[in-house]
Amino acid sequence: MPEILVTLYEVLKRTYPGFLDAVVITLQLTAVGVVLGCLLGLFFALLKLSKSKPLQWIANIYITVIRGTPLIVQITFLYFGIVEFVTLSNFWAGAIALGVHNGAYIAEIFRGAIQGIDKGQSEASSSLGMSKTQTMKRIVFPQALKRSIPPLGNQFIIALKDSSLVYVIGVAELFSIANREAAQSFQPFETYLVVGLYYLVLVMIFSFLLRLYENKLDVDKD
Amino acid sequence: MLTAKNIHKSFGELEVLKGIDLQVEPQEVVVLVGVSGSGKSTLLRCFNFLEMINSGEIIIDGKQINGKKDNLNKIRAEVGMVFQHFNLFPHKTVLENIIEAPIQVKKKKKADAIKHAKQLLEKVGLSDKADVYPSKLSGGQKQRVAIARSLAMEPKVMLFDEPTSALDPELVSEVLAVMKQLAEEGMTMVVVTHEMRFAKEVADRIIMLDEGRIIESADPKTFFENPSHDRTRQFIQLVE
Repeated sequence: MPEILVTLYEVLKRTYPGFLDAVVITLQLTAVGVVLGCLLGLFFALLKLSKSKPLQWIANIYITVIRGTPLIVQITFLYFGIVEFVTLSNFWAGAIALGVHNGAYIAEIFRGAIQGIDKGQSEASSSLGMSKTQTMKRIVFPQALKRSIPPLGNQFIIALKDSSLVYVIGVAELFSIANREAAQSFQPFETYLVVGLYYLVLVMIFSFLLRLYENKLDVDKD
Repeated sequence: MLTAKNIHKSFGELEVLKGIDLQVEPQEVVVLVGVSGSGKSTLLRCFNFLEMINSGEIIIDGKQINGKKDNLNKIRAEVGMVFQHFNLFPHKTVLENIIEAPIQVKKKKKADAIKHAKQLLEKVGLSDKADVYPSKLSGGQKQRVAIARSLAMEPKVMLFDEPTSALDPELVSEVLAVMKQLAEEGMTMVVVTHEMRFAKEVADRIIMLDEGRIIESADPKTFFENPSHDRTRQFIQLVE
């Protein structure tokens, strides 16, 4: 076996207990970020689709500011920037920043999907006497959600990889651990390759699950 | 049953309905015809408030409807509508499409709604399709489900907006047969269609719209054999 593979294997073997703990934290960060992002995304998508101009502005301001500034700035702002007003643990500062950040992108995903549903659907629903809320909840949104799944999956993958930026406030997720390991072992080449591998495998597992889910949806309905 | 008084409707600068007066009696079948752009679909959509009129009155079952104040959902529940493009809910099975509004709007018990839905499916000849999704149905079958879905709300009047225009020719008759059966059972119906045979056989009255006005209103025999307006005569030649 080439020597490089041997050293890689040794690094992998030596570091996996620490990395596996870090994987859990990375997944927790991602999960909070994605769930919060979906809630915020839905909320702001509905604001943007509302008929009220001020509500649309609020949504536009949120989306513009969040998409227009780097995630790493948002993370440090939430942890160091507002410490005088609110103190968040570094995990929660990072997770909330991820959620707020992804919410802006997810809002646009939901908005597009909701607008993409044929107007005939809500007309049919109204013509049966269903209220606007019932129409949105039971007719438009379930269809929009199905169409959102591919772009949402993509956004989840981005969120998973973006969680690495939380290293900047010292959360012990994958990339922080990799930095520490690389510095201590003087093996940056192998260590960063290994951490890249962790991300790659996580993304591949996630993509696989997503594809299973999409196939299941298609089999059910078409 | 359904009365329109001096209805005006504009889309921006374009005035589509220029003062429509129309009274539909209980159990009457009225067919609206006219060239495209004459305002017939818009008129139909005004009757269940998918379009809001600019001025005039709409009276349904003796009650004048104020589009701003009244609970439109309640009124729409009593006015069935069948669309050109069916508009079935693709994420729900045929049965779920039919029981959705009775359960959500009328607060029917699920078991009762299902029982009624199955009777309606039998009526439109699709008992075997209860559990399939709309994407598995032909256009004619979709439209029959859409009619059943509308009937499930037990409407007082049914509006049909070109119900067969999106169908392959060989599927038109199965939909018209269901509509004819409804008419025979005494359903009040307003139908926008280009199917002149249906108009001849089923309509009590045919109304011709031209540039936002009613120019002819007559029983089918008079309408086809002795129309009073030149435009009607031209239209009949065009479609026959």
